[in-house]
Amino acid sequence: MMVSSSRKITSILGSELDKLVTLPLILRTLMATFIVNVVLTAAFTSANLQGTTGAQSILDTGLASMGYLQAGFIILGILATCSEYTGGQIRTTLIVIPWRGFQLSTKHLALAVITVPMAFIMAASGVLYAFIMMKDTAAGIETGTVIRTVIGATGYLTLTTLLSAAVGALFKRTTPALVVLLGYYFIVSPLMRNYLPRIKNYSPDTAGSYMYMPLSTDEINALTVMQGTGILLLWTLLFITVAIILYRRRDA
Amino acid sequence: MRAFNAELSKLFSLPGIWLAFLIGACAPAIIAALDSMAEKDDILAGVSTRLSEVGLIGLGAGVQGIIILGVLAVSSEYLTESSESGGGNQITTSLTAVSSRLQFLLAKAGAVAVISILLFVVAIVTTMSATKLILGEYAPVFEASKLVGVGCYWTFTALLAFGMTVLTKNGIIPLAVLIINSSVVTISYLLTKVTKLAFYLPDRAGMDMFMSDGYHTPITGGFIMFAWVTVLFIVAAIVFHRRDVAS
Repeated sequence: MMVSSSRKITSILGSELDKLVTLPLILRTLMATFIVNVVLTAAFTSANLQGTTGAQSILDTGLASMGYLQAGFIILGILATCSEYTGGQIRTTLIVIPWRGFQLSTKHLALAVITVPMAFIMAASGVLYAFIMMKDTAAGIETGTVIRTVIGATGYLTLTTLLSAAVGALFKRTTPALVVLLGYYFIVSPLMRNYLPRIKNYSPDTAGSYMYMPLSTDEINALTVMQGTGILLLWTLLFITVAIILYRRRDA
Repeated sequence: MRAFNAELSKLFSLPGIWLAFLIGACAPAIIAALDSMAEKDDILAGVSTRLSEVGLIGLGAGVQGIIILGVLAVSSEYLTESSESGGGNQITTSLTAVSSRLQFLLAKAGAVAVISILLFVVAIVTTMSATKLILGEYAPVFEASKLVGVGCYWTFTALLAFGMTVLTKNGIIPLAVLIINSSVVTISYLLTKVTKLAFYLPDRAGMDMFMSDGYHTPITGGFIMFAWVTVLFIVAAIVFHRRDVAS
């Protein structure tokens, strides 16, 4: 049966979305991430209200949990690609959609479709909570800055999710992918920031963090929002390309 | 004893365990080496205040490998094989061979503890040689009491990871929680800013066994962490005892 290629794309995208939405672990991950994020934001806010960490703006407080929030999205990305490999679902997928590169890129697209609203809700809820709790004490902030920062945070989380999905496709197994990514984001990268400050701006997470961090003038080698986005985008595309190339060559 | 040997052989033949060994043995040395390089000038000038902690920080971070070990030991049992090879769980076979569930759990926990101690000995050797290589005669001499503290920290962390995974049956949650919580700025450290109760969390208390400026004394810290491990293990044993294998 001949199908026009635009029909093909829509139906592949639809099926990938369907697979992601019906995966019980994804829903649970998102819910757990949301709850943990709110709890952490509450903790940060109350710590700031007590004045133990110094006076900070509402935006800083609302996004202080970003470092931990990204873990939920890393898990989300890994689950999206690795779930295909538990129990041989991948073979069914490839029988139905024999164009491998096409299939994997559509999967990333479907993942982005799910991630963008989720990331936006979580980033915005953190900022909103901090705003409600701190509006009496903190100085007023401009709406434009808030929107720009929340959009930056959404972009950062989405790109991180896509990068994790690509790494998951490289490893094909949940545990090693999880260990490598979490180990990098939470152990290696903070250490690298201390010991190798020269190359830290080129790593995906530090460069990406400039997407939502307020511009600080005291740091000499800070990147602009666009530079940070560009570097993170390059890393993500690089990993997706490598994943697709290997996916096409490897045995499923 | 035979159950214990079987568990050891199962652990050593896991593919993922090599990642745990690699991280456990190399990460402390690499971190200690980087830390020594960063501190070298201060140490040579004699103004460093952190000399005694240089290697210990690396050993504290090497606990990653141990976390993977503890989690994999249990989560591998619950991994469902692909439908082509029957879709079975290893746990069904294991419990057919060792029918006493408590004995099975004890043997597995024992195997995890023994391997983590062995790995710790390897890590000490690599870390010491790394600091020696970089700092030469200025390399810190580790105090035996602190080394015992780190050793206990490693073993208890492995057993915590083990207990958590018995409860969740899935490696993702314990791995995520424990790895994030051993990052440089841990969640429990942030919680200590909110409430003093957070000093009684297992990792905070456990750190006090070898870090100098702790909230507890090393002995109390050890006891608190041990209490956490015991409680978690008892809960895990009860849950495991009452749970249907296949569910």
